[in-house]
Parts: sequence; C-alpha cells; structure tokens
Amino acid sequence: MSYQWDFSAVFKYGDMLLLGLAGTVKIALISIVLGVIVGFAVALMRMASNPWLRKPATAFVEFYRNTPPIVHFFWFFYALPIVIGVSLDPFVAAVLALSTQSGAFYAEVFRGGITSIERGQWEGAKALGMSYRMAMQRVIVPQALRRMVPPFVDRSFELTKTTALASTLAYAELLYQAMQVNSITFRPMEVYTAVALLYFIVLFTASSLMRVVEYRLARLG
Amino acid sequence: MDYTWDFEVVVRNFPVLLRGVVVTLELWAIAFPLGMVLGFVISLGRVSGKPWLNTPAIAYVEVFRNTPVLVQLIWFYYAFPIILGHQLGPFAAAILGLTLNTSAYCAEIFRGGIQSIATSQWEGARALGMTYSMAMRRVVLPQVGKRMLPAFTNRAIELAKVTSLASILTVHELMYQGRLLSSTYYRPLEILTVVALIYFILIYPGSYLSARLERKLALRD
Repeated sequence: MSYQWDFSAVFKYGDMLLLGLAGTVKIALISIVLGVIVGFAVALMRMASNPWLRKPATAFVEFYRNTPPIVHFFWFFYALPIVIGVSLDPFVAAVLALSTQSGAFYAEVFRGGITSIERGQWEGAKALGMSYRMAMQRVIVPQALRRMVPPFVDRSFELTKTTALASTLAYAELLYQAMQVNSITFRPMEVYTAVALLYFIVLFTASSLMRVVEYRLARLG
Repeated sequence: MDYTWDFEVVVRNFPVLLRGVVVTLELWAIAFPLGMVLGFVISLGRVSGKPWLNTPAIAYVEVFRNTPVLVQLIWFYYAFPIILGHQLGPFAAAILGLTLNTSAYCAEIFRGGIQSIATSQWEGARALGMTYSMAMRRVVLPQVGKRMLPAFTNRAIELAKVTSLASILTVHELMYQGRLLSSTYYRPLEILTVVALIYFILIYPGSYLSARLERKLALRD
C-alpha cells in the first residue's frame, strides 16, 4: 500500500462539510418533531375501536415498515408533485418522507408503550371513578412514557442515519456536501473517510449520552 | 386532481422491473448468509475475555452501527478501491458494504444470545470435559437459536429494504430500474408507486411471518 494520504483537501473545504453537518442536524430535528406528531396521531387511531380509524392507521404503518426509505424520498420528490400540482423543493420532500416514515415507527413505539401497561391499572383507575381520558392522562401515560424512552431513542438514531438519503435529492446535508467536495478535490478516500468519522463522532457521542440518560431513568423507575 | 393515470407504460416495461427484482433478490441472498457467518465470528471476538480480540470487535460493531449505510456503500465503492489498488464493480462493492453492515448487527444478536446463557452452563460443560467449541456447539447454540430467531428475521427484513441503496452505486436492482424507467418515460407517479408496491409484496410476507413467529415464541416462554 503506497497510497499518500492527504487530508489537507478536507481541511481546506472543512466549512462546506460543517455546513452539511448543520443541514443534517436541522433536517433530523425537524423530522423528529414532525414524526412524533404524526406517530402520536397514528397511534391513537390504531388503538381506536372504530375500524374506520384503525384500519387506515394499520395500513399506513405496515406500508412504511415494509418499503425502503429511498422509495419514499423519490416518491415525495418526483411523484407527489404530480398529484398535488405543486413542485416541492428537496428539503420539503425529504422532511415529508422522513417524518411520515418515522411517524409510522414512532406510532408503534407509542402503541407498544401503552399496551404494555397491565390491565389491572386500567381496572384500578376505573374503580376509582376515572374516565378513559383521565385514566390515560393520570395513570397509563406517565407509566408508559418511561418504557417508551429506549425504543424512541433507537428510532431517532435510525432517522438521523436515514437523513443521508436526502443527498440523493440534492439537499445540502453532510453526505451531499462531501460529494461536492469530492468532485472539486478528487480525494474520495480522505473525503468519505472524514465524513464517515464525522457521522460516527456525532452519533456515537449522542448515543453514549442517551445511554446515561436511560440508565438514570431506569434507576428512577 | 385532473391527472390521468396511465399504467400502460408500467405494464409494457414490467420485464425491466422484474429483472430488477432478480438483482434485488441476489443482493439479499448473498449478503444475508455471509453477514450472518461473519457476524458469528465477530461475536466470538466480542464475548472473548482477551482485550486484543474484544476491542477490535467492539470498534467494528460500533463503526458500522453509528454511520449511515449509504455512507458505507459509497465508501466501499469510491474510497476503498484506492487502498485496495483495484477497482470494484458496483455489485461487488454493494455486496461488500451490505455484508459488513449486516455482520455488525448480527454480531450483536449472537452476542446477546450467547451472553443470555448462565455461566453455570459453561461450567457444567467444562466439568464434562468439553472444549470451548464443543460447549458452544452442543450446549449454548442449541438453546439460544430459537431465542435469536425473531431478531434475525428482523435483520433479514432490514437488509431487504437496504438493498435498494445499491441503486446509488448503479447496481441494476429494482429501485435503479424504477428510476431509469421513470426518467425515460416521465411517468414517475405510476412507476414509483408500482416500485413501492413491489417492495411491499416482497417484504410484507416476511414481516408477517416474523410477527407470528414472535408471538408464538412469546407464548411458549
């Protein structure tokens, strides 16, 4: 192996990569927030007794769980504009794809947390004269929330990794910026290695922090 | 919405999509078994008490789990050949990336399974004069095989979805064929919708069976 490593190209265009990193963080945070809202609505629908609410929600979840994310990205960018008659910019299409897809997964996290609470808790709340809503607010959700934290964190990391697909729609996140730097410098080895390292540092630091949080929560419970 | 759907173009080009399905299946059928075997080897390093085996195995797993798959595929296609000094074709690079990625996740599944066996079982096997590999084959693996099955089926489903990213390396699998057709005929709505449906038809039976299996195993415990 006689390859001469030269990371100066990466440092020279470091600000482009940092701009990309900011784009990745931005799209991840917005999609997590929107995904939680979608997921909460879908989870409520899935737990409803009315089949008109339950069945579409189940279909939504199953569709997103059984199709690849890249298909959603391309569908929202190239196909949806034909249906709605308005063209979408890459950022909007990517956010739509990410937040609906993660919404389907978050819905399962919420539903799993709520259904994991034993029946006795519901019965106890009812015996105390609480309505469905009150029991949910005061008894079920506070207990379920703690159980939802680990799968919720897992899903959010998956979502953050999936943001790399927005590069295929030419949204300027980290991977797309790396492709641009690579086409200027012709240094794929250094550029892609540096970008992989950047992702690793961000995700590994975040997941180590979350492990501490989860440990604390587990001790509280 | 006054758009007139035209599925004729999809019907006429269906053989093109089917050729893509074959390549998707090839990617999956090669990368999954290879990933499992490699994952098992890495998990042995991971559970080993020797730090010179343990540390590299941990690093390997963490690197693959904390970077986006798309970045890994691009790295193996554009960067890795530079160290290797030999160009890799898109299919070979995709297989390499998908296999190594899957192996990191499989290693964690094996590790979880192996560590779930009580140390007394190892001691018992030792007392009967079994070597490490005999104890592994005759005592540990037969007990954890069933327990790991749901995790492996989930991985297999994830991999089926991830194969779609090989389209970015120009591997002619289903997603690539779909994009090619939609840019040739300017019918992204019909073509991308059908591609999503084909993925759903390919993947849904797997996840349906795996959910049933999981419920069955949960009942037995």
